[in-house]
Amino acid sequence: MSVIGQSAPSDVADKSAPEQVVTPVIRRSGIDRTFRSVATSSGVITFVLMGLIGGFLLLKGYDALKVAGWGFLTDSEWAPDQGGKFGIAAILPFTVQIALVALVIAVPVALCTALFITEYAPRKLRRLLTAMIDLLAAVPSLIYGLWGLFYLQPRLITLSKWMANHLSWVPFFHVDDQYGTSLGIFPSSTFVAGVIVSLMVIPICTAVMREVFSQAPPGEREGAMALGGTRWGVVRDVVLPFGRGGIIGGSMLGLGRALGETIAVTLIISPAFTAKWSILDQGSNSIAALIALKFSESSTFGISALMAAGLALFIITLLVNAAASTVVSKSRSGSSTEI
Amino acid sequence: MTSIDITSTDTTRMSSDISLLDPGHQAAGLTANNVACWFGTKKVLEGVNLDMAPGQVTALIGPSGCGKSTFLRTLNRMHELVPSATLAGEILIDGVDIYRGAIPVTDVRRRIGMVFQKPNPFPAMTVAENVLAGLKLSGLKTTRSERDELIESCLSKAGLWNEVKNRLGDPGRALSGGQQQRLCIARSLAVSPQVLLMDEPCSALDPTSTRRIEQTISEISETITVVIVTHNMQQAQRVSHRCAFFLAAENEPGRIVEEGPTKDIFTNPRDSRTNDYVNGRFG
Repeated sequence: MSVIGQSAPSDVADKSAPEQVVTPVIRRSGIDRTFRSVATSSGVITFVLMGLIGGFLLLKGYDALKVAGWGFLTDSEWAPDQGGKFGIAAILPFTVQIALVALVIAVPVALCTALFITEYAPRKLRRLLTAMIDLLAAVPSLIYGLWGLFYLQPRLITLSKWMANHLSWVPFFHVDDQYGTSLGIFPSSTFVAGVIVSLMVIPICTAVMREVFSQAPPGEREGAMALGGTRWGVVRDVVLPFGRGGIIGGSMLGLGRALGETIAVTLIISPAFTAKWSILDQGSNSIAALIALKFSESSTFGISALMAAGLALFIITLLVNAAASTVVSKSRSGSSTEI
Repeated sequence: MTSIDITSTDTTRMSSDISLLDPGHQAAGLTANNVACWFGTKKVLEGVNLDMAPGQVTALIGPSGCGKSTFLRTLNRMHELVPSATLAGEILIDGVDIYRGAIPVTDVRRRIGMVFQKPNPFPAMTVAENVLAGLKLSGLKTTRSERDELIESCLSKAGLWNEVKNRLGDPGRALSGGQQQRLCIARSLAVSPQVLLMDEPCSALDPTSTRRIEQTISEISETITVVIVTHNMQQAQRVSHRCAFFLAAENEPGRIVEEGPTKDIFTNPRDSRTNDYVNGRFG
C-alpha cells in the first residue's frame, strides 16, 4: 500500500508536461491603491522621523563627542564650557537608578490596580476607576513635581531615614553620613525623585495592563471557572499568562517615561556628578534634568555636549523598547500590547 | 464537605480511575424546581421543573433562543457570571441547594463540570497541564505518580490518550478542534465531577470526532450524570436516556413543553409541537 502510495505521484509527474509556476496577478482598484499609498507613506514617516531625530542629535553632538572621545562614557564631571572634562559616567547611572526606583514601585502597584479593576471591582467602580486612572495619566508632570516637592518630599524623608537606619545592609540604602543620619541629608535624593516619577508611571502602566487584562478570552475564563477555579486561580492561569505581553509592554512604556522624565526630576534633585550606590541621600541627576538645567546657560559647545547626552538617552530608550518588543513577540500570539 | 445523601446512587457503577482523588465519587442527581431566569428585565426562562437522574444522560433540545443553554448554565452557577443575570427557583444536587450557600460555589462547579460549545483549552498550558488545570485551579495537591495516572486515565476516558500520549508536552492549542474538545472533556473529568454539563459539545466538530465524543458520553455516563444541550436530533436519540423539549413563543420566556424518556419523545410525543420539532418541521 505504502509503496503504491509513494510511487503514484512520481508516475503522474513523469507523464505530465513540466509544471509552470504561476505568479498570481493582483489587480488593485483605484481606491485600494490610493489607500495603500497613504498607509505606506504614514508607515514610512515613522522611520524617517526616527532617523531625523537620531541624525540631528548625532550631528549636533558630534563636535562635543569628537573632543571628549571615549571620555564621554567614562568621565563623570560636566564642565564643557569651562574647558573641563564632561561625560555621562555619573549622570547615566543616576538616570537609570531613578527609573528603576520608579519601576520597582510602579509595576507591582499598577499590576494590582489593573487586576483589581478588571477582576474584582464592581461594575460601577470599575468605570470610575478607569476614568480616574486615565485622568491621572493626563496630569502634567510639572504638577506631580510641585506636589512631590512641597507635599510628598517632607513626609517621604522620614521613610528614607527609617530605611537608612534599618536596611543599611542593602548597598542602595546605605548612607555614609559623618553628621549621623539626620533628616537634613535625605531630601533631593534619587529615592525621592524615583518615588515621584513612579506616580507618573503608575497610570500609564495601569492603563496598558488593564486594557490587555480586560481582553482575556471569556471562553478561557469560563473554562477555568467551570473547573471550580477561584478568582485567584483564574487570574493566575488565564489572565496573567494572556496578559504577559501587556505587563511587559506597560512596564517598558513606563520605563521609557521614567528615563525621560524631566521637569519633576529637575525640581526635586540637587545635581550631583559623582556616581554612587546609595539612593537615599541628597544628590542625584538625570540626563533629561541636566539638559533642562544647563540648556539656557550653555555656549554652542556646551549645547553640543548636551545634544550628545540627549543622543545617549535616545539610544538607551530605543534599546529598552527593542528589548521589550522582542520579549513581547516571543510571548503567546493573540495577546496584545500597545508598545 | 456538606452532608449529602448518596444512598440513592448505585455503588457498583463506581469506576476506580475516575475517582482517583475522591474515593467516594458517585454520580449525583440534579433537580430543578420552578426555575426562572432573567437578563436584566427580560425574562428568558420560566417555570422549569426537571429531574436529571443520577447516572443518566439527559438531553435538552429545542430551537435556538428557547433558553436551553441558559438553563444549563444555571445548573453549575455559570449563569450568575453574566452581568445583570438573575434567577428564581432552586437547583438541588442530591437534594442540597447549590445557590443558598450550603456548598461553596467553587465546590459546586467542581462537582458539576461543564464542557462548552467552543473548545477552550488553556493555550499557555501543555496537553498534560490542561488535564491537570482543574486541580491547580482549585489548589488540590497531588503526587507525581497520581498526576501521571490521572493524565492517562482522563485522556483515555475522553478517547484521546492514543492520539496524544507522545505529545503530552505540546501546547493544547496544537491539537485539532475535535481533539481540543476531547481535551476539555478530559480536563473536566480530572476533578472527578458528579455531573457533567455539555453545551452543544459537537456543534463545531466533524462527524468522526462527534462519534468519539458520543462514545465518551455513553462510557462516562455510568459514573457521571450527563446533561447535554444539542441541536442534533440524531445525537439526542443516540446518547440520551431522557429528553426535555424547550420552547419559547415569540416575546415569551422559554419553558419545558415536554419531558420524558427519549424513546417516547421521539416516537410518541404527547404534545404536537414536540412532534413537529423532532420531525424537523420547525426550529
